[in-house]
Amino acid sequence: MNKRLPIGLAFVLLVLPCSLLVAFTHYPALRALANSFWNNGSSRRPSKFVGWDNYRAMMEDDRLAQVLANSAIYALGTVPLAIGLAIGMALLVNSKLPATGLMRLSFFMPTMLPMVAVANIWLFFYAPGIGLASQILSVFGLPPINFLGSTDTSLASMMVVAVWKEAGLFMIFYLAALQAVPANLKDAARLEGAGHVRVFFDVVLPLLRPTTIFVAVNALINAFRLVDHIIVMTRGGPNNSSALLLYYIYEVTFAHRDFAYGATLTVLMVVILGAMAAVQFWILDRKAHYQ
Amino acid sequence: MTQAGVSLEVRGIRKSWGPVEVLKDVSFGIEPGGFLTLLGPSGCGKSTLLRLISGLDEAGAGQILIGGRDVSGVSAADRNLGMVFQNYALFPHMTVAENIAYGLRIRRVSKAAKQKALARVAELMALGDLLDRKPAQLSGGQQQRVALARVLVSERPLVLMDEPLSNLDAKLRVEIRSEIRALNKKLGITVVYVTHDQSEALSMSDSVVLMNAGRVVQHGTPMELYRTPATVFAASFIGTPPTNLLDAADVRPPGDGAAGLPADLAGCIFGVRPEALHLVVPGAAGRADFTASGRVAAVEYEGSVFLIHVETPSGARLVLSHSGAEVPQEGDTITLGWDRPATHLFSKETGTAIPVSA
Amino acid sequence: MRLYTTSALPLVLGGALGLGAGAAAAADLEFYFPVGVNAPAVATIDELTSEWAAQNPEHTIKPVYAGNYEETTTKALTAAAAGNPPQVAVLLAIDIFTLVEEDVIVAISDIATTPEDEAWMDSFFPGFMKDARFEGKTYAIPFQRSTPVFYYNKDAFRAAGLDPEDPPETWDEMIEMGKKLTVKDANGNVTQWGTRIPNLGLAGAWMFGGLVVSKGDVLSADSGTEVSIDSPASIASLEFLLELAEEEVMAPGGISWGDTPKAFLEGQAASIWTSTGNLAFINENADFDWGVGFLPGGDGPGAPAGGGNLYVFKDATDEERAAAIDFMKFMTSPENAARWSIATGYVAPRPDAWELPIMQEYVAELPQARVALEQLPYAEREFATFQRAKVTQFLVEAIESVVTGDADPAAAVEAAQEKADDVLGDYR
Repeated sequence: MNKRLPIGLAFVLLVLPCSLLVAFTHYPALRALANSFWNNGSSRRPSKFVGWDNYRAMMEDDRLAQVLANSAIYALGTVPLAIGLAIGMALLVNSKLPATGLMRLSFFMPTMLPMVAVANIWLFFYAPGIGLASQILSVFGLPPINFLGSTDTSLASMMVVAVWKEAGLFMIFYLAALQAVPANLKDAARLEGAGHVRVFFDVVLPLLRPTTIFVAVNALINAFRLVDHIIVMTRGGPNNSSALLLYYIYEVTFAHRDFAYGATLTVLMVVILGAMAAVQFWILDRKAHYQ
Repeated sequence: MTQAGVSLEVRGIRKSWGPVEVLKDVSFGIEPGGFLTLLGPSGCGKSTLLRLISGLDEAGAGQILIGGRDVSGVSAADRNLGMVFQNYALFPHMTVAENIAYGLRIRRVSKAAKQKALARVAELMALGDLLDRKPAQLSGGQQQRVALARVLVSERPLVLMDEPLSNLDAKLRVEIRSEIRALNKKLGITVVYVTHDQSEALSMSDSVVLMNAGRVVQHGTPMELYRTPATVFAASFIGTPPTNLLDAADVRPPGDGAAGLPADLAGCIFGVRPEALHLVVPGAAGRADFTASGRVAAVEYEGSVFLIHVETPSGARLVLSHSGAEVPQEGDTITLGWDRPATHLFSKETGTAIPVSA
Repeated sequence: MRLYTTSALPLVLGGALGLGAGAAAAADLEFYFPVGVNAPAVATIDELTSEWAAQNPEHTIKPVYAGNYEETTTKALTAAAAGNPPQVAVLLAIDIFTLVEEDVIVAISDIATTPEDEAWMDSFFPGFMKDARFEGKTYAIPFQRSTPVFYYNKDAFRAAGLDPEDPPETWDEMIEMGKKLTVKDANGNVTQWGTRIPNLGLAGAWMFGGLVVSKGDVLSADSGTEVSIDSPASIASLEFLLELAEEEVMAPGGISWGDTPKAFLEGQAASIWTSTGNLAFINENADFDWGVGFLPGGDGPGAPAGGGNLYVFKDATDEERAAAIDFMKFMTSPENAARWSIATGYVAPRPDAWELPIMQEYVAELPQARVALEQLPYAEREFATFQRAKVTQFLVEAIESVVTGDADPAAAVEAAQEKADDVLGDYR
């Protein structure tokens, strides 16, 4: 610790990342905050300061209420599902079954595909009457389901796509964590009479907790960050049933060209993400360390 | 307080990992309450054998009898034994109390009985103040005691220990060594102990099974192993520094001839422990049955003794454990002597011991 | 304008010379275009642009496929906001108000002022010029114009005992015939629906506009500031969509635009309502006998005009603008309009294109191609207003909430009308 960087070099090393952070994170965030207090101008309507008007409109925005409800369901649904599936796949791949290499590859494949490609695959899968899903249903004599065209199923269908896309990546983290669980801990539990299920829940799962927290944070961020499939598959429809917050911001800002309200929604999103990050870091600090 | 031990018998055990046979027809037995050590170098199969006894792995052939009952096909949990692992295998997310009581929890022991058992082992192992800690907050010695407590709480008659002291520093190792031996005596439990440290094996055990390359080399009391090594390997593995091995060409037989020695001395290897060697000063009083000469290559000071390394004309190296006042210097040519009872003879061909009659 | 056309020759020459002088200066054009149908559109666009570049070696042009219509508009506007717009783009005809309000396009009638230019602008079907003009100026040139038509599977009609040469003309006939066309398997699951009208998203709103036209109303006014979403015609149109589902003529719930041609080709729908722009794709892939008819109407024939126009962006040099005009003239020449129409099924937007031998030949071979042209007189402008994306979203929500069973028609259109008025109030 007694070796110090020359002050000039330290300054240069700090300035570069800081200026990137300021240019691409802090400045836009502050700019969005400022924009949210102005209304949207155009060649026919000059922009003017409107105070809290945009926020008031936000409070009364029924569509936003639905979008937030959708986002909450989406996050609370996809995160545990993706984690559960990832653990299941990791256990399978980590087992002594044959062809685990092939399984590993096929589980990981969706992660390597771009979201837009994934969305197009699923678009075909879901197409009522002609898609694979309908054909599978018809084998069992069931009527086709209008996955994307029904308000009851569109959000769930989007969640399935996200889980499918993400679980493979999380599986890799869990696989690494599983392989780091000392074998003799499992042996010790087995000797005490624990069966496979007990060993998993008493020993393995608690040891995976740091990984679970890490994955949960990532999954939650992705739940708010990844909306490509919404844009490709449903555009938030039908009747807003699959619209998520970031998609709504995209639509308001870029399609509706309502930069002021888009900025207001962006501020809301920053606040929500900030709050979630704070809670997560608090949990991380308290619960993640063993050794 | 005593937990009656059980007998253990291992008959003709074989085990292969893939094409490699790691245990080749291993047999031995131990009386209830006995302390048996499986001793051998790394890779000799001793830990594998322990896992077979525990039931964590299945043997390829042979039988294991615990208390006279063949436990082939019986799961680890149902063999009624406990095991202490090399790096303790404490559950890092559980407190000391939870670690110790884990087996009781699995077996749905009543809360009252659990508390009682916990209190008993906590007292026995002096862990009373540590029950609410997590393993990461304990020292190595404390962790070791928790691991022992976890095994003892279930009052199992047979306890297996897989190099339990290898992660501890030397001083602590000696301390816990005696604690374990005391527990064995006090509780009457049967202990099977795995180590590669021969001094640990000699100091703790009722009997030692010395293994090499998947076979039992010698099974006997520590004294038998030390005094009458069955093979060259046993002679060289037991004792610090190891037994000196000499070609017959380097040895001058006793003046009274080769009475009682095999006719073909040239086909023999002489084994002499460093502490059985002494300096023969020409012209001085004292005699030796056998002598060998050489040049002093190095002198090590060990506190109570000097270790004097001698190189014989044929290039073999001898170590003399010397406690005399006069210490030879490097480069001196000296003569070492020893007596007939201290002589171990081994066949050059087979490596097995050849009896030396007095 | 008529004044000039009578004595156009010298002026045309002069204009051509003037334009020639302007065009001599090199311009690098960027050209955004969308693809909204299943057609080899990208290849044809590439072909046409390279031809233009070959004829005008002093210029270069970079065609950029920018996604579907909505994505292309979003991209073009974002690029314009960043100060780097394309010089020319094909964008939705209905985006004219947005583009004018954002002040990113120039009126073509302001920069193309020679008599020859005016003759060019007068050479298109008036129906397609309606939504290219605003406040007396021409802002766009029709290019990939379309209108939905009724595609039907003649084999399926025969199988249902219907006359394959007599497709339904009214809603009542649609329901009556549709019931016969719907086929179920042994489990009672539908394997073939009578018809399929996309009702989700922007395309759903477009189709809906056609239904309303056939009931004698138009959803939006030329001014771009008035909408008529809560009219009886709207409610009747929504009720028609519901009735189709109730009578099992059409699948219930939301129906996507993108899967529609495929559903037709795979026999999952005996008839579909979709753009003429899908004509070439269906012609290429249908392995059954198929026909095209007018969209069945409520009170008579009715359809929305639709598709995309060519726009010139403001942020361009005079040379670039001149080159852009020249490029647009090339793309909309009778020959190229005919080629584009044959390649895709889009309606060639000028009468003289239809007179060309290649077009005559094409129509003789594929008479279905003529239906859109014949339906054109019954077409009205597509729903277009200021704040188009936002206001259309209200209409889309109303349609989607009704077809998914979340709202009843009257309440849904009333809510949409109210929200639209709220937004458009500022513009009146």
